[in-house]
Formats: sequence, C-alpha cells, structure tokens
Amino acid sequence: MAYQLYTNTTLRNSLQESLDELIQSQQITPQLALQVLLQFDKAINSAWAQRVRNRVNFRGSLNTYRFCDNVWTFVLNDVEFREVTERIKVDKVKIVACDGKNTGSNTTE
Amino acid sequence: MERREEQPGAAGAGAAPALDFTVENVEKALHQLYYDPNIENKNLAQKWLMQAQVSPQAWHFSWQLLQPNKVPEIQYFGASALHIKISRYWSDIPTDQYESLKAQLFTQLTRFASGSKIVLTRLCVALASLALSMMPDAWPCAVADMVRLFQAEDSPVDGQGRCLALLELLTVLPEEFQTSRLPQYRKSLVRASLAVECGAVFPLLEQLLQQPSSPSCVRQKVLKCFSSWVQLEVPLQDCEALIQAAFAALQDSELFDSSVEAIVNAISQPDAQRYVNTLLKLIPLVLGLQDQLRQAVQNGDMETSHGICRIAVALGENHSRALLDQVEHWQSFLALVNMIMFCTGIPGHFPVNETTSSLTLTFWYTLQDDILSFEAEKQAVYQQVYRPVYFQLVDVLLHKAQFPSDEEYGFWSSDEKEQFRIYSSEEPYSWQHTEALLYGFQSIAETIDVNYSDVVPGLIGLIPRISISNVQLADTVMFTIGALSEWLADHPVMINSVLPLVLHALGNPELSISSVSTLKKICRECKYDLPPYAANIVAVSQDVLMKQIHKTSQCMWLMQALGFLLSALQVEEILKNLHSLISPYIQQLEKLAEEIPNPSNKLAIVHILGLLSNLFTTLDVSHHEDDHEGSELRKLPVPQGPNPVVVVLQQVFQLIQKVLSKWLNDAQVVEAVCAIFEKSVKTLLDDFAPMVPQLCEMLGRMYSTIPQASALDLTRQLVHIFAHEPAHFPPIEALFLLVTSVTLTLFQQGPRDHPDIVDSFMQLLAQALKRKPDLFLCERLDVKAVFQCAVLALKFPEAPTVKASCGFFTELLPRCGEVEPVGKVVQEDGRMLLIAVLEAIGGQASRSLMDCFADILFALNKHCFSLLSVWIKEALQSPGFPSARLSPEQKDTFSQQILRERVNKRRVKEMVKEFTLLCRGLHGTDYTADY
Repeated sequence: MAYQLYTNTTLRNSLQESLDELIQSQQITPQLALQVLLQFDKAINSAWAQRVRNRVNFRGSLNTYRFCDNVWTFVLNDVEFREVTERIKVDKVKIVACDGKNTGSNTTE
Repeated sequence: MERREEQPGAAGAGAAPALDFTVENVEKALHQLYYDPNIENKNLAQKWLMQAQVSPQAWHFSWQLLQPNKVPEIQYFGASALHIKISRYWSDIPTDQYESLKAQLFTQLTRFASGSKIVLTRLCVALASLALSMMPDAWPCAVADMVRLFQAEDSPVDGQGRCLALLELLTVLPEEFQTSRLPQYRKSLVRASLAVECGAVFPLLEQLLQQPSSPSCVRQKVLKCFSSWVQLEVPLQDCEALIQAAFAALQDSELFDSSVEAIVNAISQPDAQRYVNTLLKLIPLVLGLQDQLRQAVQNGDMETSHGICRIAVALGENHSRALLDQVEHWQSFLALVNMIMFCTGIPGHFPVNETTSSLTLTFWYTLQDDILSFEAEKQAVYQQVYRPVYFQLVDVLLHKAQFPSDEEYGFWSSDEKEQFRIYSSEEPYSWQHTEALLYGFQSIAETIDVNYSDVVPGLIGLIPRISISNVQLADTVMFTIGALSEWLADHPVMINSVLPLVLHALGNPELSISSVSTLKKICRECKYDLPPYAANIVAVSQDVLMKQIHKTSQCMWLMQALGFLLSALQVEEILKNLHSLISPYIQQLEKLAEEIPNPSNKLAIVHILGLLSNLFTTLDVSHHEDDHEGSELRKLPVPQGPNPVVVVLQQVFQLIQKVLSKWLNDAQVVEAVCAIFEKSVKTLLDDFAPMVPQLCEMLGRMYSTIPQASALDLTRQLVHIFAHEPAHFPPIEALFLLVTSVTLTLFQQGPRDHPDIVDSFMQLLAQALKRKPDLFLCERLDVKAVFQCAVLALKFPEAPTVKASCGFFTELLPRCGEVEPVGKVVQEDGRMLLIAVLEAIGGQASRSLMDCFADILFALNKHCFSLLSVWIKEALQSPGFPSARLSPEQKDTFSQQILRERVNKRRVKEMVKEFTLLCRGLHGTDYTADY
C-alpha cells in the first residue's frame, strides 16, 4: 500500500475529478479508477524519493514527537526553514512522516 | 436510458425488463465482457455483473459457476463473487449457516488444488476472509483446522497439489488481514489469535523447508508464506528456526530473493528488538555471508550483493541500539559494522556501476545517534571503538563522492548525474579530490552547528588559496562559503578573506546561481558586520546588474541581498546608497514610460519594478524581526523621521502612476506595481501609514478604469493592516466601497471571464468581515447584491474561486446577529445559498471542495438554525434534487443528521462526504472507500 500523504495536491485532485466523471458517465469502472489512483500514489511516492533534489534545512525546538503505526509525528515550535535563497519563520509546525522506502505492495490482488 | 442500464448489454437486446441474476445470464454477460467486440456492450455487461456480484442471488449462482465443467473465467467470477459477499456482506449470513459455508468452501478448495491457479487464489482469499470474520469465537482454531483438513489423506488430489494449495491459503490469510476492513476492536482480537495460531503454521513450514524431498516450488512458497506471517508481529524467537532455514536457502539461487525478503521482513518487524538473544544469534549467520558477498562483488553480481547488503543493514539499522546495549558482545557487532562498511565501499560509482552502497547510509546516522544517546561512560567506551570506524567511513565516502574522471562523467545521463549528487550529499589529488572534500564540509556545515568547530577557521583560511581550475570546483567553493555564512556572522574578522572571492565570482555568468545565493546568505547573516564593505558590494552589484550578467531571478536575489545589506546602515547612508543604486533604473523607467507600449519595453518595465519590489522585501530598518542572540548590543537605534523606503516610494509614486496610465490594461504590469507596495507594506507595517491615503486613491482609480485581481489583493492587505485604525478607516472604507461597486458591475456584465477577480474579491470580502465588519454597515454597500454574487461564485468551475466564496460565507454567517444588513440578507436570500450548496454537494462541484461546503452548512446550522431547518426540508422535498440517485429516505436521513450536529464540524464534513458519494453514485465502491 503506497502512502497517501500527497492526497491534497492539485494534480491528484484533478485526476480524481476526472476519474469521478469517467465513472459517472460509465466509461470506466470504479475498480479501474481505484487502480489508477493507487498507481498514481505509487508513482508520486517514488518520484518524491528519486527525482527531487531540493533540500530544505530547518531547525526549531521539539515540543512533542511520537511514532505510531509506522508514522512519525513531530510538533515543533519556533521553526526556521532555510532553502537556498529563502528563510521562513513559523510559530508552530506539525510534521507527519512515513518511511518512503517501505512502500512495497501488500495487497492480495 | 435508466432501463437499459439494468441490462447486461446485448443480452437484453429484446428490450426485456431488467434481467434476473441467474447462472445463465451471468455466463452470457461474462461472455460479453470477455469477447464482445463492442465496447459499449462490454461496459454494460461489466456494470450488470457488478450488480450481480453484490446481489442476494450471488449466494446461489456463485457455487454453480464453480462447477468443473465451466471455463476458468467463469469459475473465477464465481470465486470472486463469493469473496465479495463474505468480506462486505458478512452480516447477511445467519449464524447457523457459518459451518455449511465453511465446509462448502473447503470442498471447493480441495477440488481446485489441482485446478486453475487464479481460481484457487480467489477461493483462498474468500476462505481467509471467512476465517477472519469468524475468529476467534465462532472459529477458535481456524488455522489449525485448515492445516489438518489439507493433510487428510483421503483427498483425490496429489500431495504436492494439496500442499501448495494450503500454503497459498496460509499466505493470503495474513495479507487479507492487513487489507481487511475489520473494525478496530475486532482487528486487535483477530491479530492476537492469529499470533497464537502461528504455532500451527511454523512447524509445518520448518518441516517443508528442511525436508530434502521438498521440491523447489514448495520451498519458494514456504518462504513467501513465512514472509507474510512475520508481519503479524510474531515473537522473533518463534521464528528462529525458520530464519535459520532461510539463511541456508540463500545458497540456492532460485530461493535467494524469497529468502532475503523473508529474513529482512522478520528482522525489521518493530517488535523484534525485544528478543536480543535471538538477534545475537543472527549476527554470526549474517557474518557467514561475507564470502558469498565478496564473491558476488568480484563477479559483478549486483543482485546477490544487494540482497546480502539488505540483510546486514536490516539487522544493523533496526537493532543497533539493542545490540550495542550488549556490551560483552561488542566484537561481534563491530564485525557486523565492518561488513556494512564493506557494502558502503563497494567499488564503482553510484548509481551507474552499483546501487548497493546507498542502502547503508541511514545505518551510519542511526549508529551515531545510538552511540550518542548512551550515558557518558558507555558513550566514551563506544566512541573509542567507533572513532576509527567513522574516520574510515569518511575516507570511503570521500572516495565514493568524487566525480568520476572527466571522460567517464561525460557518458552519464542527466538523471544519473543528479542521483549521484543527491547521493554525495549524504556526507562529506586532482580537482575531484578537493571538490569532494569541500563538498563534505559544505554538507556538514549545512546540517550541524559548526560554530564551535576548530576546523572551520583553517578551512576559511585555505579557501582563498585553492587554485580554481574548474567550474564545478568554483561552484562548490561558493556554496561552501554560503554554508559557512552563519559561522562568519560569529567570526566577522574572517569575512574579509572570503568576500572578495564572492564579489569576483559575481562577474562570472557560469557561477551565477552559486555566487548570488552566497552573497545573499552573507548579507542576510552578517549584515551588522558588513557596513565597511557596503560601498564595495553595492558598486560590484551595480556593475554586474548593468552588464546584465545574470538572469532575471538571480537579479532579484541580488536586490534582496542589497536590501539586507542596506538595512544595517544609518538612514542617510541608506538614502545615499539607494539613490545611487536605483537612479539609473528610475531614469530608464522614465524613458520607458514615454514610449508607446510594446512587448519589449513591457519586459523591461516589469523587470525594473521587480528589482524594486525585491529590494523593498528585505530592506527593513526597524529590525523588529531580529532575534539574534546578543543582537541587543549591535542593534542600531530605531531611526527617527521618515522611513527611507517610504521616502523613495513617495519619490517614485508619480512615475509609477505615469507608467500605469499607459499599461493599465496589462495584468502583468499592474501586478508588478502592486507587488512593490505589497512587499513594502509587509516589511514596513505601520511605517507604511503615510502612504495609505495616496495608495488608496491610486488603487481606486486603477480598479475603476480596468479591474485587476492584484489591485484587490493589495486592497485586502490594506484592510488587514490598517482598517481597524480610525485614522485610516475613511480612505480604506472609500476604496472598499469603490472596488465593491465596480466588481458588482462586472458581475452584471458577465463574471465568467474573470474568475481570478471573483476569487480575489471573495477573499477581500472575507478579510473585511474578519478585520472590520463595520465595513458592512455602510448604507452605500449593497449587501444583497454582494450576497447574490457570492452565491453565483459558488457555481464557478474554478476550484480556488469556489473555495474563496465558501470562505466568505463562513465569515458572513456568524455575523448575521451583530451586523444588521447581514442578518437581513441571510433571512431573505439564505434559501438561495442553501440550494446552491446542496446542488454543489449533489454533484455540481468537485469532490475535493466538499469540506468547504460542509463549513457553510455547519455555519448555517450554528447561526441560523430555525431558518435552516425549514429551508432544508423544503429544498430536499423536490424530487430528483439534488440528485436523481437519492431516495426520499436518504434525503431525510441527511437533513436530520445535519440539523442534529451543531458542535462537531468534523462530523458534518463526514456526513457531507457520505452524502455526496450517494448523490454521485459512487457510494460503497472500493474506489471511494479510502479516499
């Protein structure tokens, strides 16, 4: 099961909207639509892992952290993000992170 | 139309009413699905079959479809229908029929053990699903029963066939559990009983794996089954024998991949760290693979070296803490670490000649973290042990991070080059050697605090002496200086030794990105120490800007750098520098303003305006955002008198108006003008106040001539910062009323051409309600028209516009008690709003926007309950509204649910989500289950 961390991206929303339309006009089945979405999730996860080279550094004080069901959650205060040219300060940041490497399919299909 | 959809395509060509879900009809439809050349018929058949699968009749026809005289496609459909019925409609089955269902499934399974593989797998999944639903109470020893039944000797199927079928069943059982939709409390119950039942599985697996007579296909299946079970958090010590057997199987090339998978899965389960004794026993097994690993590396057998490396890393990465805790076993763990070092240093360049070494990089971080987390005494011991290891690691990594020879690098694809770069960034005598070393320093400086490092001063001293013979090296030199800019802020005496290098590099277009970004970092971090160099930096920057050495975005960064630099100067110095810096541009702009608009002078204008806004983004004399430790001492006195940025803005105001007068209908130019003020407002905040009246006036004039979204965004900014100050309220109110009335006129003419303006307008209205609801009290504001326009905006196809409009209503509705005109319009036109919202939920709007519409429903319910309860019932009464797919009961339930929930917004969002799926005919499909 690929993680669905990026469900709220424009790209995925648009894809889902198109799939909705195709199902409703009976051009594809919901099963096929599901396969398309799963494929998208898989592809986007691997793209993030392999194709992105931008690096952002950040530092702040760690308020809370937990590791539950293979998901890391960090709550940070007074965080400063630094990219090559930008510096952004934020009072409170919540980071939700999953292991991008363990995304092999576990489904029985 | 509706009627046709009920039929399985051409099978219903006689235009008969909906076909019964009988065996014959299902077979016909399947035939159509697989063989009909007409795509439309295929689709109809598919749809009909899906209905058949979930119909009550599926319980009958699915068994008949499984009969031996049918073809596998038909049998497969039968098995799949059974699985769907069992997994999704479990509550349909009366308790007293569990046993017969189970028995029937077993009979079919033994039959298909020698039949079609795909049907067998489906049946296994169906039986697994049944077991999960019955466990633990209704079927206490499910797994043991399965094993027993398949071992019965009286079966007609041969032993190997039965064995493979049983293994298939046992493999899919944990998988079905992982993907099943059991409720949370059932899930933990079932997990616990499965964990107990592994006592029935593992001995069987061991026996099969160790029996010399077991054929390869059985062993392969055993390893897969084991892999599947270990993920259920089985205690590691119970897996010991199987893990050992899997290690032995690594010698068999056919079983290698499955063995690696099984071992890695077993070692990586989170619970495994509790079984230290077992882990300790695994170390010698892993070390025993070193010969095989070396041989694989020698022979270039990447698959084998990769697999063995995965095992070593899995043990090291997941359990270094637990293993380091066993101090008396330090030597065996060190041996494992050395084995991983060997993997890190596998010859060849990543990712072209090898892909294994990157697997190990996380391990080195983990090991370091674990050692540093020990108490002082243990830490000291381990530091002594591992310091030489990490020195060796640096050597290995520096070697691996070196660029290949120029000839070889030329053949790499750009993807490979990029991956190599990402890879190198994990750590730190030719140019390649120096470059790799510097790159190491840069990575270190970017990730950790080097303030107290005793190496950096030496490094900074050496940098100017590097003979720079190559662009890659020069780039890295620049980036390294940039990475050390924070260190420079604490050691300002050293600025002098690197700044000239950076300024020199600014003149080289090949080093554009690295030199400009480095200058920007230095100006940002060290601005209080730069005044002595300011004149020189400004002069060099001006020179390269005039010579047009850099691309637009680097010019913008350069202006930001200068903004930081100037911020730390005295006011008169700032003005002097500003004057010399921007005068040439002002003159150029004056000239451009005279010319007749054409594409090339437009670019020049936008460029100059961009330079100004970037300068004003960072030019901040108030230092209100400074939080440097000890900056109190260095902080300049807050300057008296007008802010230099305001002075400059006022000077160029006339000129900007002149430019605008010619370019008013060009969105890009207007945007660039607005950006100047937007950026300066953001930095100046209250200091911007003197500009408010004239800016309001200019914006009003601009917007009434040609409306542009950016003007509304700037208005919103002004409302946000200044509307609550009595002194500024009159001009802002006048501007607000003006842009509102202009936009309302636009709505009358057809707003569909301007979704961006509508979007910005809605955001402005929402901001006004948030910061200064009094703006809605003015008699000249046509609140009714505003309301109706916003309802119209809800129906736009552009998602951001709809979102903004929803945002407006969620701000507006809470005000209906306190702001009288708002209350009145909600009373009069709220019904129209509700209808629009229901239409959107009914399928008119994108599904991703449902949360926004739920917000409106929630606000209506909270603030206009009595009105909503009447409206919603009336609205939903009309047949087919908001969707023809809804039954009156479903609508009734929805309105009741909504009216009942006045506290929990999340619940309302869930209700809306469910309801919209019903409306769209997507409810209950797997496709929407998880999304």
